[in-house]
Amino acid sequence: MTLAVLGAFLRRDLREALTYKFSFVFSLVGIVLSSATFYFVAKLVPPSTPSLGPYGGSYFSFAVVGVAFAGLLVTFQQGLATVVRSAQLSGTLEALLVTPVPVPVILFGSSLYQLFFQAFRTALHIGVAFALFGLAFGRVNAAGVLVIGLLTVVCFLSVGVLSASFILVYKTGNPFGWILGTVSGLLGGVVFPVSLLPPWIRWTSSLLPVTYALDGMRKSLLASVVFSKVLPDVAALAIFDVLLVPLSLLAFRLAVRKAKRDGSLSHY
Amino acid sequence: MTDSPAIVAEGLVKRYPVVRGFRDLVLKPFDRRRVTALDGLDLEVGRGRVFCLLGPNGAGKTTLIKVLSTLVLPDGGRAWVNGHDVAREPGPAKSSVGYAVADERSFYWRLTGRQNLEFFASLHGLRGAGRGRRVAELLRLAGLEDEADLRFNSYSTGMRQMLAFARALLAEASILLVDEPTRSLDPRAADRTRSFLRDELARRQGRTVLWATHDLGEAVDFADDIAVISRGRIRLAGPAASLAAGGRAALRVAYERSVEETGRRP
Repeated sequence: MTLAVLGAFLRRDLREALTYKFSFVFSLVGIVLSSATFYFVAKLVPPSTPSLGPYGGSYFSFAVVGVAFAGLLVTFQQGLATVVRSAQLSGTLEALLVTPVPVPVILFGSSLYQLFFQAFRTALHIGVAFALFGLAFGRVNAAGVLVIGLLTVVCFLSVGVLSASFILVYKTGNPFGWILGTVSGLLGGVVFPVSLLPPWIRWTSSLLPVTYALDGMRKSLLASVVFSKVLPDVAALAIFDVLLVPLSLLAFRLAVRKAKRDGSLSHY
Repeated sequence: MTDSPAIVAEGLVKRYPVVRGFRDLVLKPFDRRRVTALDGLDLEVGRGRVFCLLGPNGAGKTTLIKVLSTLVLPDGGRAWVNGHDVAREPGPAKSSVGYAVADERSFYWRLTGRQNLEFFASLHGLRGAGRGRRVAELLRLAGLEDEADLRFNSYSTGMRQMLAFARALLAEASILLVDEPTRSLDPRAADRTRSFLRDELARRQGRTVLWATHDLGEAVDFADDIAVISRGRIRLAGPAASLAAGGRAALRVAYERSVEETGRRP
């Protein structure tokens, strides 16, 4: 039942997306331009830069992996909140909520297309950088990519559920998305290594899951490291997961109940 | 089960928190003012009846419909649809009612009428060929066969309303909740909608229709039973024929009082 329902959400969003004929083309052009920008910026950064050492030494590869995966993580952490907000604004939320489908399935299903599409964009981003600009992979640590990827998805989806809970009750604002989205760009090591940050602020990056997600992913993809070298990242992400999963589920349950009590489920 | 009422409400209470501005939040942080939408409402709707809930805007009609469709939790009292408590058994209760969400924004405007129905049919557990057949049948019933493959954004208001009914019928629910279905329709489309609800859904298919309206004439002409609602309470209820007897005097007085009371609401 749930799989068929998720399939229906995917089909709906794909059908809608196909009515916007040029958006995919523009998205592809954006990816090429972003890769080209980092390709030329990378020419300013010598390969021997010490802070890039743990990631294989190439700034271009470092930045492309960071930007491509950060886009995916932002979608995971904000996608659920975005679909709730969009359904509130477009007026479809009430019609969805009177169906027998449980609210968490509605929420996840509504964001599924966005998640798949962003995952495809990430793969495309890396593919374009590889094919056109010579992105250099190391000896890829598949287990590292898989475990880091899985823990990261769980972690960022939990943040997404927290954000959606906030939007259900307060309609706008979403502090979780803001903190993790805005601050992560600066402190999470998306386009430069966190080791370049001054020590007085560097510690804050250790509080952000994006730091471990990108560190582990880059090491696994670019630096030819064995799995044991990414264990600290795996452990940190696992701790985030253990804390965030129950917290986000509880927050969501309370948010739905409060919105039903206040009669504001579909308000915007 | 067949003799038991389709809908029962006992002492239903709903109070919404008053939305406060920033100034109030700072100056009176512990002020918990609420506005009463349902104030101990009692109601019984028989099976297969067209039951009009008559009252002006703000009388509590929409809140009652939202409580019955499980979108809003009551603060007090209880309500049952087909014997299922809407607060304690929301799953079976939801399956018992079709809520015709009248808001045209509740559809996907860039999809066709058929694609919209197919999507919602999937959410109601319909699959494969069965889903296609059900959707085609409902499009035919709603008189939208010829426009089924046009985008929803090209539909007239009347067509959108009919598609909303078709969507509410997807689950084969025996109770249909409709909230001011003729509000923005021209007279011809409004008449077609009224006949569809009474003649097709109630008389021919035997469904129970709970119909919220502020139009006294509509209620008298199309309902089997009428209840006048005011400030969240039922003020007068009974068979339409007896309430309308004698020039509708009692009904008119109750409705006018309801309008007056709702206007005076703090």
